[in-house]
Amino acid sequence: MSIWKFLFNLDERRNWYLRKMPEGPLRSYYESSFPANDTDWRQVDYLALDFETTGLDKRKDEILSIGFAPIRGQSIRLSEADHFLARPVSAIPEASAVIHGILDDTASVARPLEEVLPRLLKALESKVLLAHHAAIEYEFLSCACKKIYGYPFIGPVVDTLALEVRIFRSMDKPIRSGDLRLDKARQRYNLPRYPAHNALIDAIAAGELFLAQGTYRRKRRPLQLKDMTVIT
Amino acid sequence: MDIELLEIRDFLAANHPFDQLPEAALSELPTRLQVRYFRRDTVISETNSLDNYLYLIRTGAVEMFSAENELLARLGEGDVFGYRASRRPNQIEHHCTALEDALIYQLSAQDVDRLCEHHTQFAYFFGSVVGDRLRDAVSHAAQVTHSQVNLITTPISELLKREPVSISPSASIYETAKKMAEERVSSILVIAKGQLAGIVTDRDLRNRVVAEALDVNLPITEIMTFNPTSLKEDAFAFQAQLHMARHNIHHLPITRGEGIAGMITATDLTKHQTTSVVYMVSDIFKQDNIQHMREVADKIPDLLVNMAAAEASADSVGHVITSITDAITTRLLQLAEERLGAPPVRYVWVAAGSQARNEQTAKSDQDNCMIIDDTYDPKLHGDYFKELAKFVCDGLNACGYVYCPGEMMATNDKWRQPLRVWKEYFSNWITQPEPMSLMLTSVFFDMRRVYGSRNLFRDIADHALEMTRGNRIFLAFMSGNALSHQPPIGFFRNFVLIKGGEHNQTFDVKHNGIVPIVDLARVYSLAAGSKSVNTLDRLEVVAEGGEITSEGARDLKDALEFISYLRIQHQARLIKAGQPADNFMSPDHLSHFERNHLKDAFSVVRSMQNVLSQRYKM
Repeated sequence: MSIWKFLFNLDERRNWYLRKMPEGPLRSYYESSFPANDTDWRQVDYLALDFETTGLDKRKDEILSIGFAPIRGQSIRLSEADHFLARPVSAIPEASAVIHGILDDTASVARPLEEVLPRLLKALESKVLLAHHAAIEYEFLSCACKKIYGYPFIGPVVDTLALEVRIFRSMDKPIRSGDLRLDKARQRYNLPRYPAHNALIDAIAAGELFLAQGTYRRKRRPLQLKDMTVIT
Repeated sequence: MDIELLEIRDFLAANHPFDQLPEAALSELPTRLQVRYFRRDTVISETNSLDNYLYLIRTGAVEMFSAENELLARLGEGDVFGYRASRRPNQIEHHCTALEDALIYQLSAQDVDRLCEHHTQFAYFFGSVVGDRLRDAVSHAAQVTHSQVNLITTPISELLKREPVSISPSASIYETAKKMAEERVSSILVIAKGQLAGIVTDRDLRNRVVAEALDVNLPITEIMTFNPTSLKEDAFAFQAQLHMARHNIHHLPITRGEGIAGMITATDLTKHQTTSVVYMVSDIFKQDNIQHMREVADKIPDLLVNMAAAEASADSVGHVITSITDAITTRLLQLAEERLGAPPVRYVWVAAGSQARNEQTAKSDQDNCMIIDDTYDPKLHGDYFKELAKFVCDGLNACGYVYCPGEMMATNDKWRQPLRVWKEYFSNWITQPEPMSLMLTSVFFDMRRVYGSRNLFRDIADHALEMTRGNRIFLAFMSGNALSHQPPIGFFRNFVLIKGGEHNQTFDVKHNGIVPIVDLARVYSLAAGSKSVNTLDRLEVVAEGGEITSEGARDLKDALEFISYLRIQHQARLIKAGQPADNFMSPDHLSHFERNHLKDAFSVVRSMQNVLSQRYKM
C-alpha cells in the first residue's frame, strides 16, 4: 500500500482521482460517493464478491470468473446477483484449474476482462466491497483497473476473514490452523455447507457469513460501518 | 446470465411444496430469493410483514407463537412459514422467533402468487381451505392401482348395470319364466306394492318346477323364495360377496332407500377379481374347531399388507378386517350353541369399540358384551350364558383378539346382563356423568349387533339414544371427555411436537390421531340422536342434520381417512419386517408430503375440537 493511504482518507483520494481521470467505467464508479464511515452498518449496501484466478500473484495471474451478490437491508438479493467468465490472455495453469474447474475451452469463449469489468464496477457503485480474505479481490481488481484504465481501484472493504479474527480475539479464543477458512468459519454460525465452488456461490457464502458475523459483533454503541471495514 | 445457483435449486427441489414445481420454474426460482440470517432468540419479523413473504428455513430452527405466546409450531430445515398464513381465514395472529441461528430464504408474496397461478400442485399447498389439500392428499394416497381391490373399494351401486327385472306376485310360473328368457336374466325379483316380496332363480325353476313336474300355470308365489336377504347399494362389493358366501346364494337383491335398486349376481362379482377375504370368511364358516379358525385369523396381517400395497382406502380396510372378526365371532357363537344347546332365553351378542365401528386394523383387542332377555333367571340360565361367553371370548383370544385389558367383555358378569339392567346402566351413566362412566359410555355407545336378537339390541340402543338426545348436560360432559385426547402441534425435525413445546420420539397414531376424531363424531352423533356407529357414517349424518357444517364434516372425514391410511401403511411395514403391528409412528418414516398433510389433519381436528368446546361450554 502506498503512503497516500496514511495521508488522505478514501474520499479525499477518490476526489483526487476524479480531478484528472478521463470518462469511463472507473470514473463513473468514482463519481458516486462512498458510504460514510459512521453510518449504522445495517444501513449500508454491500457487494459480496469472489474471483476465481489463475493464481495468487496479482501482477502475473489473471481473473477467470467474477461472482457477486448485493446486500441491502441485511438481506442478500439474489435477483441482482451475477456471475460471468473473463478470457485470460495466457493458458490456465493446471494447478488452478483443479480448484475452480474452469478449463481453457470454457474460458476461450468468454469475453475479455475489459469487456466484463464495467459490469462489476457498475454493481460496486455506492457499495462496500465484501469478500472472504478480501485482499485477493481488492488487489486483483485494483491491478486490473490500473492495466485497463490507468488508475487503481479504491473503496471501502469488508473482509469476513479479518472480522472473524477480531471476533476470536474479542472472545479470547486461540485461532487454530484452518479455523479461518470460509467453510470452517461458516460452520460456527450454523450456515449450510456448499460443496461446489464457483465465484458466485463463494460470494454468497461470504455474504451469508457477514450477515451472521454482524449479528454476533458486540459494542457498547450501535455498530457502524467503520467497525466492520478493513479499508476506510 | 450464466448464474449457477445449483446449491439453492437442489435444496428447493428437495422440499415441499417446491418439489411440486417443474424443472424450469425451479431453476429460475433461486434468483427470486433473498437470504437472511437470524441469530438465536431474535424475532424474525413483525407479524404484518411476515405475510408479505414466504420464508423457507435453510438451516436452524424457528418457533411460531400466538399473540398470547402459546407455541403454535416449531419449524426446522426445509419448513416454510409466512405467506400462507395470511391466506387462511381465521388465522390467528402470530410471531416467529429464531430458536437456533437460522439462515432463511425469503420469497416475495407476488412471486408466490405468480407461481400459484401457473402451478396448480404448488398452489394446493397454499389453498385457503386446509380440507382441499387434505382431500388431495387422500386421493393421492389412495389411488386404486390393482383390480384386486376393486371389490374392496367399489360400492355395489357402481356394479349395477341395469334396472331390476321384476314381476308381480300374481304372475304365473310360466309368465315368469317367459319374462326371464326375454330379459336374458338368471333370476327375477317378485315385487308387491313396490316392496321386495321374493326372488326366483334359474335353479328354482329347475329344482322346484321341472324336477317336480309342477303345473306352470300356478302362481309364482308357489315356488319363489320369500323375503330374500338383501343389501343396501352403498355397501362395498366385497360385502355382497361375503353375504353370498355366508348364505350360500348366487343372487342378491340390492336396495336403495325403501325401493329396489337392482340385482347383483355371483358372476357380476367374479368378473372382478375375487379377494382372499371372501375365501377367508367362507373358510371360517367351515371350521368347527378353534385351532383351524386361528389359522385363518393368522392370515389377517398378510391381508393387511396386501391391501396396504394395493393402496386400499382405510375405510374399506376397516370394513374388511372387521368383517373377518364378525365372521369369527359369529362362528364361535354357532359352535358354542352347538356344544351347549340352544339358548334358554333370547340374547344378543354385541360388539363394542372399533369392531362396532367397522374400524379395526391388524392390532385390535376384543370389546364385547351380551344383552339377555328380561326373563333371564340367573339361577336357571346363569351357567349357560357364562359358559357361552367364556367359549367365545377364549376363542377370540386364541384367534389373536387379546382379552380387553379393561375387562370390557361378555365374560365379565357386569357386561352379561338382562336388558333391564343394561337400561339402568345407561340411565346411571347418563344422569350421573363421572370420569369412569364417561369412559364406559365412550366404549358402549359404539355398539353393533353381531349375533342374536335384533329386538333386544334395538331396545337398548333406543333407550340410550332417547336419554342422550338433546341432553345438554350429559353432552357437555361427553364433549369434555372428547377433548381429552389432542393431536400434536406438528413435527420438528425427527420429533413429534406436543402442546407446551415438549417433544416425543413417536406419534401415537391411535390416541392422538384417530381417537380425537372418533370422539368428536360420537358426541355430535349422540346429540343428533343418530344410530350410526361408523365414524364416517356418523359425520355424514351429523352434517345432514346441521350439527356441524358440511365442510367441517368433510374435513374431518378426510383427516380420519388420511391418518388411518398412514396407520395402515405403518402397520403393514411392521408386519413385513416381521414385527408386531402397533400404533407408534416415528417421524423418520414420514415423507415431507405426509408430514405436511398430517399437520393439516391435526389443525382440522384442533379447530373442530375448539368448535365443540365452544358449543358445550361447561
